[in-house]
Amino acid sequence: MTTTTVAGHAPATPLQRILNVVRLHFTNPWTTIVLPWMILGIIFVASLAVWWIIFANLPSDADRADAADGLQYSGGINYIFVYMMVVAIQAISITFPFAQGYGVTRRDYYLGSSLAFVLLAAMYSIGLTILSLIEELTHGWGFGGQMFTPVYFGDNWMQRLFVFFVTFLFFFFVGAAIATVWVRWKATGVTAFFIVLGVILIGAAALLTFTSSWAVIGNFFAGAGLLGSFAWSLVLTAIAAITGFFVLRRATPRAA
Amino acid sequence: MTNVVEVSGLTKRFGSVQAVDDVTFSVAENKIYGLLGRNGAGKTTLMQLLTGQDFATSGSIEVFGQSPVENAKVLQNISFIKESQRYPEDFRAKHVFRSAPWFFANWDAEFAERLIEDFRLPLDRRIKKLSRGQVSSIGVIVGLASRAPLTFFDEPYLGLDAVARSIFYDRLLEDYAEHPRTVILSTHLIDEVSNLLEHVLVIDQGRIIIDEDAETLRGSATTVVGTSAAVDAFVGGRQVLHRDGIGGLASVTIAGLDQKERSAAIAAGLELTPVSLQQLIIRRTNTSEKEFEVSA
Repeated sequence: MTTTTVAGHAPATPLQRILNVVRLHFTNPWTTIVLPWMILGIIFVASLAVWWIIFANLPSDADRADAADGLQYSGGINYIFVYMMVVAIQAISITFPFAQGYGVTRRDYYLGSSLAFVLLAAMYSIGLTILSLIEELTHGWGFGGQMFTPVYFGDNWMQRLFVFFVTFLFFFFVGAAIATVWVRWKATGVTAFFIVLGVILIGAAALLTFTSSWAVIGNFFAGAGLLGSFAWSLVLTAIAAITGFFVLRRATPRAA
Repeated sequence: MTNVVEVSGLTKRFGSVQAVDDVTFSVAENKIYGLLGRNGAGKTTLMQLLTGQDFATSGSIEVFGQSPVENAKVLQNISFIKESQRYPEDFRAKHVFRSAPWFFANWDAEFAERLIEDFRLPLDRRIKKLSRGQVSSIGVIVGLASRAPLTFFDEPYLGLDAVARSIFYDRLLEDYAEHPRTVILSTHLIDEVSNLLEHVLVIDQGRIIIDEDAETLRGSATTVVGTSAAVDAFVGGRQVLHRDGIGGLASVTIAGLDQKERSAAIAAGLELTPVSLQQLIIRRTNTSEKEFEVSA
């Protein structure tokens, strides 16, 4: 009696396998692509209506400039970053057990999912940047409104593209890391994770306060500048991404 | 004969629970195996170990000659849709059948379409909204149409009606005849699948208590029916698997008889009836439970 070696069909290459996982995430693009843009569209239309009301009721240029000053702190698109964290959590917690049924290794699954998140981050940041350019060209959609060009996203489209991209990456991979904790240790794990995170954050705040070191943090961000500060988020993103990988490598698709 | 699965000394512990307990067996290529046992006997855990979905506490598993854990070469030859398979939240059945071919090189789309018609599965409805049986049929279709060299069906028909179940058995046999592959079917509807199985593995409390050719197993016990006196005289010192009696009549299940013994029984005015696989396994499982209690 002998043992067969791996027989059957021609094996897929590692790259093909990873790309298959990417495709799996986009099989139904509703949650990851369609819905976020729809919500963004609704927020945009609502903002447009508000800008129009303000614009129509401020006849003088001085008043309008005053209003525009306030509008530059718009937070209309911030929701989409947090939403992408939710998308990442959902995507991993639900497609992981499914992909395991399809015979996908954890490694291929995580790499494919990460690639899908990077692609989504790229798509959303390019989309938002294009909208921000239109916003500039049309002087705020004709009403001096600002939704895609708030001051804290940079001065020009290249800076905005960068800030959008790294911010999306941050939320996607933090979401992915939380999802892997959920997949591996379920509710107990996620609870423990947030307790530990809370303790660390409060501990850090206490340390900074008691040693009167808050200025150090302030100086750090001031020194790094807007772009530099956002660039530093990549360190946290990388830590989340690597942690997620190792947490998932030993996860099992058991029912919750 | 070649083996696609070789398991030796396999143990899986969850805390203090021994889900799989020092199990050793092998699975031959291109046969249909029944993995039978009661709820919680360790069937699903064993299959999860074989498919690299769970990690062994100790012992070795070789599937196609290699460890299945995180081994894409092995895993892409395996299809394992569980009874409790969860599908992505927003998926409709059509999304499952669109994505499955990317992962199963032998996927047969025509066969899948035929099965979708057979099971009358609505493709455009969200999986969340489907009935339990319809969700099960998705798993059955994926398992059949993927034609993976090693296919697992774990209680594939939760909620499926009798018609749908018989469609499943028919299609499985037809397709298996044309495209031989190794199938491991876990179920507790033993009599329904009895004719399908070529080899039977029975697991009880984490241990394999029967590992036998299905044909041999069916012949391994007989029920002797007659008057108590005649039955007792015939049974004598043989091991009794089960005993029923009403008034002066007795019905006793004993180990299989050879031709000479059968003739002797008939000459003694006794009636011999075959024991169904299900009865046989129930008897043997009980036996092992008693033994377990004694040794505990």
